[in-house]
Amino acid sequence: MDSLSGLAGGFAVALQPLNLLLAFGGVFVGTVVGMLPGIGPINAIAVLVPVTLATGLSPESSLILMAGIYYGSQYGNSISTILLNVPGTASAVATALDGYQMTKAGRAGAALSTAAVSSFVGGTLSVFGLVLFAPLLAGWAIRFGPAEYFALMIFAFSALSTFSGGSLVKGLASTAFGLWLATVGLDPNSAIPRYTFGQLQLLDGMDFVVVTIGLFAVSEVFHLLEDTERGRAVAAVAGRVAISVKEIARTGWTMLRGSVLGFVVGVLPGAGGTIASFLAYGMEARIAGDSGTFGHGDIRGLAAPEAANNAAANGAMIPLLTLGVPGSGTTAVLLGALLGLGVTPGPLLIQDEPDLFWGLAASMYVGNVFLLVLNLPLVGLFVRVLSLPRWFLIPGVAAIAFVAVYAVNGSSFDLVLMTMFGIVGYFMRRLDFPLAPVILGLVLGPIMERNLRRAMALSDGDWTILFDSPIAIVLWVLALASLAGPAAMRRWTIVPAQRPPDRDH
Amino acid sequence: MALGTAAAAEASTFDVAFLTDPVGPKALPYLAAGILVAVGLRMAWRPAAGGGAGARSPARTGLAAAAFLAYAGVLPWLGFFVSTTVVVAVLSELYGAPRPHGLVAAALLTGSLWVLFVHLLGLPLPPGALWIR
Repeated sequence: MDSLSGLAGGFAVALQPLNLLLAFGGVFVGTVVGMLPGIGPINAIAVLVPVTLATGLSPESSLILMAGIYYGSQYGNSISTILLNVPGTASAVATALDGYQMTKAGRAGAALSTAAVSSFVGGTLSVFGLVLFAPLLAGWAIRFGPAEYFALMIFAFSALSTFSGGSLVKGLASTAFGLWLATVGLDPNSAIPRYTFGQLQLLDGMDFVVVTIGLFAVSEVFHLLEDTERGRAVAAVAGRVAISVKEIARTGWTMLRGSVLGFVVGVLPGAGGTIASFLAYGMEARIAGDSGTFGHGDIRGLAAPEAANNAAANGAMIPLLTLGVPGSGTTAVLLGALLGLGVTPGPLLIQDEPDLFWGLAASMYVGNVFLLVLNLPLVGLFVRVLSLPRWFLIPGVAAIAFVAVYAVNGSSFDLVLMTMFGIVGYFMRRLDFPLAPVILGLVLGPIMERNLRRAMALSDGDWTILFDSPIAIVLWVLALASLAGPAAMRRWTIVPAQRPPDRDH
Repeated sequence: MALGTAAAAEASTFDVAFLTDPVGPKALPYLAAGILVAVGLRMAWRPAAGGGAGARSPARTGLAAAAFLAYAGVLPWLGFFVSTTVVVAVLSELYGAPRPHGLVAAALLTGSLWVLFVHLLGLPLPPGALWIR
């Protein structure tokens, strides 16, 4: 029972007063920023996590703060999805289906509490899964050599390119753009400057904070300027905020099923949350059959995707922490932040930094509890934040972005770069290029290059080493399948366009 | 069409970029450039539909971008407080804030950020070279 004693140690870390306070603060701020229409969780994380880095807290404490922000922003996203019908991420679209219908029917209070409870259930169960399975996967991943890692990253890239929404070609273009950005700066092996155009500031390479904030937050600020419609009416939160025991009982099995499904899908790379929430929604609708009012404000139609989404968010932490390979845009940002803290996730993380790993797992529990305790009573306050005018909220987020970027190196050159990336991101949005693969490419690029070169050094330049082991071959096949799968499925079956393709392995 | 040209332009800049890459470790740049060129050609050959809805207010977006760049330029001189207040106020104005409110809110917000980061978190923000001299 290594896991149990580890977890006990983790709770000792997570329950220190400072860390409790940080978890609380992270959940609170994350909820507020993640809730803002048009800002959403990934921007919240992109802007807030670098601020965490700049505070000079210990890695454990920073991670706890980040976990709080991560959770809070997910739930904040649910709030605006349910009340305003503006899902900030693709994974919240399923939440909007019945959540917004409940709001329209005057049951916003019940909808928000259901979302909080099912997020809690999904989150808590999947942290349990994380504690159980992460050490197993880590034990297995120790056998990965450079060739296997290289294949694994190819798989992560192809999966995210395929499932990031929109066309595969554009997803690949974004990934390649990110990989190219990763090569800017001094080459680590030969100290040859690449793509620096004689700029001293580029020798260190592109800082992921600058790129992330530019691509996501700044481009969003530009983009929202075009969206001139103002005064989106915030639906009045009518009805009880507290959820009745009877209703919880009604959704109990739904939440459990959603959590398990979400966790399993979340572990696989790709847009886990989106697929998980739609699969859970579809599954519940099928189970309910005629007895359900899905699409017209069925409480189960809200509980299922919320539980699945949160479980998937935690499931995605497993490949991130044990393999160092993020499966989504959000976890890619977290990976960048971890590297910034001097923590290298990988199979050895659990052994080498037990305090950090178990502290994080424990603080995920704590964060979940806070989410529930904080949100049930404070929902009214959060709703009032939503009614603040946009001319105040969005420039405010921009100001925080300035601080975060400036804090990286204390240089205003980074602000120029950030603005450039804002402009690039703005055009990428206009042309429907997904942004998340860029970050994945940027963060994984150096790791991928290192493993490729290491593999080549081991084999004296023989490329066949990349296809030499069974694990590597399986990963290559998976990568090819994820690229070809959706296209093939479209050809052979008539899939309704609004559902993402099911994945069968 | 806009998409096709954008993709082609992107591909061509990368063509140039990998030619200027010095000899040596360039497997990854080649890989990235290769994918970009292939994808660019694919899009130029068969431009995908979607995207590219015309900007309703290119002037305002341009102004915002210009304000951000100017901000980076004056930050070391005017310091965090003055420049951030100004840029946030400009942005509020672009987002349609009523006249005096935007400026006041910007000053208050910047002030509280300053207190939070400099005094509570000990993060150095530029005070402004002009005022120190």
